[in-house]
Amino acid sequence: MSKQAKATKGGDNFTRWLVISMVALVVITGVVFSMMSSSTKANQSFSALKGFTLGAPVSATLDTAVGSGLVLNPGAPVRIDLWEDPQCPVCNLFEQSIGGYLDGLVRTKKATVVYHVLSFLGADSIRAANAMMCASDQGHYLDFHKSVYLVQPSLENSGFYSNANLIKIGDSIGLKDKSFIDCITKGSKLNLVKTHEDSMPSYKVTGTPTVFINNRLWQRKASGFDLGEFRLAVAAG
Amino acid sequence: MIAFNAKYQGVLTLIARLGLGGVLIAAGGLKAFVPAKAASAVAAYKILPTKIAHLVGYGLPWFEIAIGALLIIGLSIRMASVVSGLLMLVFIASIASVWARGLLIDCGCFGGGGAVDPAKSALVHRTYFIEIMRDLALALSALYLYFFPYGLFSLEKSATQNKES
Repeated sequence: MSKQAKATKGGDNFTRWLVISMVALVVITGVVFSMMSSSTKANQSFSALKGFTLGAPVSATLDTAVGSGLVLNPGAPVRIDLWEDPQCPVCNLFEQSIGGYLDGLVRTKKATVVYHVLSFLGADSIRAANAMMCASDQGHYLDFHKSVYLVQPSLENSGFYSNANLIKIGDSIGLKDKSFIDCITKGSKLNLVKTHEDSMPSYKVTGTPTVFINNRLWQRKASGFDLGEFRLAVAAG
Repeated sequence: MIAFNAKYQGVLTLIARLGLGGVLIAAGGLKAFVPAKAASAVAAYKILPTKIAHLVGYGLPWFEIAIGALLIIGLSIRMASVVSGLLMLVFIASIASVWARGLLIDCGCFGGGGAVDPAKSALVHRTYFIEIMRDLALALSALYLYFFPYGLFSLEKSATQNKES
């Protein structure tokens, strides 16, 4: 370094620390702003459940032959297997365009729908899957499943699907039974959650959502999920 | 080469500052106001524990904006160049790590991010290569700025001072 550079070093040091603290201030403000906006958004998502009415209870049985899937309305001529992860954003897209139709097929007894609740996306998925299976015991898999997607946060594994929030989801749609709440807090279905998850390779399921119609993989042609296309596939069997 | 550099160094430094700073501000600005997306994008690399990845996702865009602004206005250029050079090396290492582990993600460099349709794997691999090359070029700009921080239109010092420092 030259003499001139050395001479101005004291001044440079002051500037340097000023700059470092300004950068730190910007970053800290940004992080605080981001965390606040994320948590506000997550809490606001509960408003999506306002006015939600529980459908009639539908009991579920376990299909031990096929990954212990939750079987709704067994014995119908068409069988649809849906493999989903409650945190998966594409499953939410599927739910938005086709979920209502599947719901109707079960309730009008036109098809057997088997739900495989996967949890490979992380801890939030495991807790949500456990709660979904708890809701299934109450006869409200369809309702709870729908509401979990209605509040799905865009950020995965943020801790939003905590047991407290899952109980709150249940509470908002009218699932207030003590056995349901205990099932969530005790993690009563965690073994079943693991059984579902572990059955993936046996059926060559590598991602979600994966749909089988009468045990045949549904391969969509449209880039998104098209209800018309799905209806035709179901009708074709 | 040296004579060329001596003649145009002030302009070259300005170009490097505007290029590197501009890219950083663009990258940060596109992510800063979609924090959930930015946090998911970092988590998708599966390098850091989820909670820490989310924090990085929240902070990184603002850090990029701040460093980019320093480069553009020309304040603490040498420090900003060291930091942005290291940042580029981290980005290169992260993309290389994702590539080596066979993950298929959008780097989320300029917003977006997350897993990509497995059907597009060939395209994604080419994108990884292009991204690494781009970050390498930016790292070289940072290296140039480390040696020649003072150029035209800088708040800090004039072009003649490179020779003395």
